[in-house]
Amino acid sequence: MEQKLARSVSIIGTSTLPQRYFDDPMYEGLSIYELWACACHQAMEDAGVKPRDIDKIVYSQMANYVTAGNVLAMVGTLEEWIGLAGKPIIHIEQACASGYIAFMEACNAVASGKCDIVLVAGIETPKHFNSRNQPAHMIRPIAEYEEWWSPGRALFDTTYYRFDGVSDNLLTDEQARLYMKNYGVSEETIDDTYNAMAVNLRRNASRNPRAAERREFAEIAKENGFDDVMEYMRSEEHNRKITRFIRKRGSVLHNVAAGAIVVCSSDIAKKFSQKPIEVIDFASSSNTQRFPYCFHQMNVDVRDALYKDDIDPNELDLMITTVMTSGEQLDSAEVFGYLPEGKGYQYELDGRTCFDGDKPINPHGGDLSFGHAFGASGINMLSEAILQMRGEAGDCQVQKDVRKCLVRGMGGGHTTVGIILETKE
Amino acid sequence: MFKLRPILKTYYDALEEGKVLGMKCQECGDVVWRPLPTCQKCGSTDLEWFDMGDEATIDEIIFENTNLKGDYTFAKANQNFVNKEPYCICVGHFEGGNLFHAALYGVNEDNVDEKISMLPITAKVEFIQMDGGFKSVGFRIKD
Repeated sequence: MEQKLARSVSIIGTSTLPQRYFDDPMYEGLSIYELWACACHQAMEDAGVKPRDIDKIVYSQMANYVTAGNVLAMVGTLEEWIGLAGKPIIHIEQACASGYIAFMEACNAVASGKCDIVLVAGIETPKHFNSRNQPAHMIRPIAEYEEWWSPGRALFDTTYYRFDGVSDNLLTDEQARLYMKNYGVSEETIDDTYNAMAVNLRRNASRNPRAAERREFAEIAKENGFDDVMEYMRSEEHNRKITRFIRKRGSVLHNVAAGAIVVCSSDIAKKFSQKPIEVIDFASSSNTQRFPYCFHQMNVDVRDALYKDDIDPNELDLMITTVMTSGEQLDSAEVFGYLPEGKGYQYELDGRTCFDGDKPINPHGGDLSFGHAFGASGINMLSEAILQMRGEAGDCQVQKDVRKCLVRGMGGGHTTVGIILETKE
Repeated sequence: MFKLRPILKTYYDALEEGKVLGMKCQECGDVVWRPLPTCQKCGSTDLEWFDMGDEATIDEIIFENTNLKGDYTFAKANQNFVNKEPYCICVGHFEGGNLFHAALYGVNEDNVDEKISMLPITAKVEFIQMDGGFKSVGFRIKD
């Protein structure tokens, strides 16, 4: 595929810091700042660049005001921690799409010719915060935040008084209703599809040391007296429904994370990396939650903006997509033509979307098992795509060469992105 | 290779034990306080903990007339300081280290001109108890 940018852009480095919780022994005594510094230096080391080589930083974080001591624009401090004080930096906040948008902005900075090497990095701690009057390592559970705060509710603007019951879960539920309406699939089949998807993603995550949850559901089911994992997944006691269609195991898993990627102009990429990955094109679409089926519509809008000229979805070797709740993976895989329309559910039921299947989706485990850290998540998803394309994903490596990959992301119900990556050699 | 290790917690735990820690770059020797895991001069991540000692040089005294009611007037002690003793702001440095801003005790309207005329002067580390349950670092000049 031919690059659609005015100046070709390549990825030359990524971090591999795992998704964890703050109570993991590996993260004992740390704050988001140590994680930030680690991710950024991992990416720079991987790219073979020093801090002085970086022309600009694009940083993503969604909830810094809430979780980081009510601080605005902590950009200078973040630069200091990675030895980049004095360099230009931009903060991107676009809910859980922040990381993807930040990546696109980093690519734009290189494509414009303004910068040669750009670091894109994100940090987020969805479940903890530090108080205004304490240093950042003195973290507390988000439930103790002095003002009631829910990321789900914060996604709804206040231009009109919105019915609070229209949560993001209900919006993702719409994808199931739309699917049933369009393709005549039963509610029981949708439930089995979503459960199979959760099982598949956990199977992937069990092979990925960077994933937050790594115990297979088959093993957990057996431990709870179920020989059939699908029976366990249908059980209200062990996997209750949180909306009409979405079950607990089919909903996003929140964890603390940091991530970083280094991009540069393609003409100098070979100086730094033996396996540069080219950024072919990207597109985004924003919408409001005002109208029904907005999640589906944004997928359609991004697909139409992205698929031009020589881009053929049948050539894609891999799809990585945000999966806040189960319906999102199925809808996006079909809209972007990675799975056949109206038949994608069967691929999930048959396990063909697993890392070792013929149509792998989210071989790292997806947001349901790999984990999800708001504004950092897009960068983490892109990092997993990079590892797969280099053949460095470890035990969750897909079983074929990944030359062309679609990374599709979504955040807050108001922004969806599509990014196409390719290895040329 | 970057070492994932507690920076903030180590620093604040040391303050509880009466020790001020910075970090020293193992490649270029630059010392940074407050500690950072990346050398601000050469970009290296090979830094080790460094005891900054218990005194620093005060290079400037920023003492505003209390009538200004600004943030730095000595009549407005930080609301998060447990001890409400008045202080002013200084610019200083530990031996071989970078410049910093800090709270400075021991300067008042009666001696401020004299103290400024004596600059640079040495000041002892003053551990400031914060109401968030931790200590911060200020300085106190001798009478």
